[in-house]
Amino acid sequence: MRTFLSTTAMAVLVMAYSAAPVRAAEESPFRCEPGEKYVMNVMVSGVEYWFPVYEMFKQAGKQLGCETAYTGTPEYDVNKQIASFDQALAQNPAGILVHPMNSDPFIEPINRAIGQGTAVVTFAADSPLSKRISFITSDNIREGTYAADAIAEKLGGKGEYAVLENPGQDNHDKRVTAFIDRIKAKWPDMKLVGRAASNQDPTKAYQGLMSIIQANPNLAAVFMPEANSAIGAAQANKESGGKILVMCADVNANILDMIKAGEVFGSINPNQGMQGYMGFILLWLAKHPELIDPMNDAKRAGFNPMSIPFVDNGLSIVTAENADDFFWDKYLKRRGTKGIEE
Amino acid sequence: MLAETMGTKAVRAPSWKRLGSMREAGLIAIILALCIAMSFASPHFLTLGNFRAMLMSFSVEGIVVVGMTILLIVGGIDLAVGSVVCFAMVLSGSLFLAGLDPWSASLIGILASALIGAVMGFFVTVVGLNHFITSLAGMVIVRGLCLIITKGTPLSLFTLPPAFKAVGQGSFHGLPYVIIIFVAVVVLFDFLLRRATALRKVFYTGSNEKAALYSGIRTNHVKFWVTVLCSTLAGFAGVIYMSRFGAATPTFGVGMELNIIAAAVIGGASLNGGSGTILGAILGIALLSVVTSSLVLLNVSVYWQDMIKGCILLGAVSIDHFLHKRKAS
Repeated sequence: MRTFLSTTAMAVLVMAYSAAPVRAAEESPFRCEPGEKYVMNVMVSGVEYWFPVYEMFKQAGKQLGCETAYTGTPEYDVNKQIASFDQALAQNPAGILVHPMNSDPFIEPINRAIGQGTAVVTFAADSPLSKRISFITSDNIREGTYAADAIAEKLGGKGEYAVLENPGQDNHDKRVTAFIDRIKAKWPDMKLVGRAASNQDPTKAYQGLMSIIQANPNLAAVFMPEANSAIGAAQANKESGGKILVMCADVNANILDMIKAGEVFGSINPNQGMQGYMGFILLWLAKHPELIDPMNDAKRAGFNPMSIPFVDNGLSIVTAENADDFFWDKYLKRRGTKGIEE
Repeated sequence: MLAETMGTKAVRAPSWKRLGSMREAGLIAIILALCIAMSFASPHFLTLGNFRAMLMSFSVEGIVVVGMTILLIVGGIDLAVGSVVCFAMVLSGSLFLAGLDPWSASLIGILASALIGAVMGFFVTVVGLNHFITSLAGMVIVRGLCLIITKGTPLSLFTLPPAFKAVGQGSFHGLPYVIIIFVAVVVLFDFLLRRATALRKVFYTGSNEKAALYSGIRTNHVKFWVTVLCSTLAGFAGVIYMSRFGAATPTFGVGMELNIIAAAVIGGASLNGGSGTILGAILGIALLSVVTSSLVLLNVSVYWQDMIKGCILLGAVSIDHFLHKRKAS
């Protein structure tokens, strides 16, 4: 009998212990309801920049037991992106992480989404006049500043430099302006000798840099706010003796190989994966304001107490030393996922 | 025979006069004037290095211009060239990464580009759609194919063998292979367009398709093969770009078609078909390159460059048009 009782007690204890995590999980407020779905929405949806964003958006979703989906338009067209946003909204998702191609055209769709109870967070580009809950982005000013310091330090604070630009694209303009301002302020012995518009086109970058080199044979460095131009700039540099430090922003497999081979000095890369992860968390929190008892006037004023207006997702300086950590295909392989296709 | 030759000699105008009577004379004069003005404005313009840089910058695009010019002459247009250039790059690049040697991969890339031209030619000549709408659809479809092949990620072709990279990056006694290939393509097609019967039919078809048809020319046949030729040359340019940059990005060549068409039209090709020359089109793309290089050398603000470039081009084309009109009258 004693044996029976002790065995039974042990069994109950074991069952209680083993059931404890399950119960804890069941009781945890940080779980999605069945069918609770969060979507990400972008324009030019085939472009690789979004893939790490969605990959980590998905990671956060899985951890909280939520459904996720990748949506958008393959075109660079605000009307088509709004149409894809509306299609996603029609499925009544719990939240949408959106990169609004233009800010004002998205005011009405975002406000409509908020009105129907769908949380909206913007990332990498904002719609500040809308009722979106939060905005998460990398700090383009800091990216330009860090790039300037990296180049100037490598050159010992002296030398001529040039920039290749993509005028009209807000985040690229900010990076270039910050780069130039930082050098002007902190590195007075460095001189800006040339500016050319490469518009993310390797052939234009090649011609622009070649022309600048002709006029400035002592050119020591060139900065561009994106990765495509670096392909043409590196080629121009190679044909001109290879003495120029080529620095860009963003990375892809090709740029990483070029960095490893020394053809590109380095790149400033926003941690876009964190845009996805934190973007999801911000959405989820915004969808669950009941979790907190706000010690402010949120309830009386009727705004969401779970809103965090702005989050900076940080950046990385990619050089030959750490380039291996940024290969997307290796990351996907390591994670064993299908990227945006799941 | 001798008398005939002597007779020809007797009526032949001096070479400078013949040069002046060429359709391209006005454009040559404008480019020369711009070069002279720039040589005073910037001491770095009139240098061998700068001319080499300018020539290198438009050589590969120039190959695409050749195909586009012939297509414009026949009365067509191809908005898909930028996408096809990219397609040849990414297809060849992905085949190389899959283990194929780069030469075979490039050949397949060019043949696949020709196939795209054939499909567009089919829709134009058999289905009866016009070139504009067919190539507009082609542009979108082929760009989509590029995204499918690459999954949106640029292909790193860093491991291309040096012998293949040499095509885009090497030189023969200091003269880059890219320029040699470009000149060879231009000379060949300029000669064929002026002398070869098959390509003369392009002019007849473009000038008056019905008349050409009644005179026994298989106009649909001509339009089909010229469409194939344009895509093939775009594919050829794509694999040269791949060799030159050692990369294949799915966004490469976006908007390239506008530059290509602009160059051909500046060079005298008519959007209504029937007129145009390879030399003129090459001068057109050279003018675009000279203007771009000049603005950079003069340190013109990037925010002003597009507007100034557009004004200069409009002015140049207007002057050329005026000179041509006066000559014709």
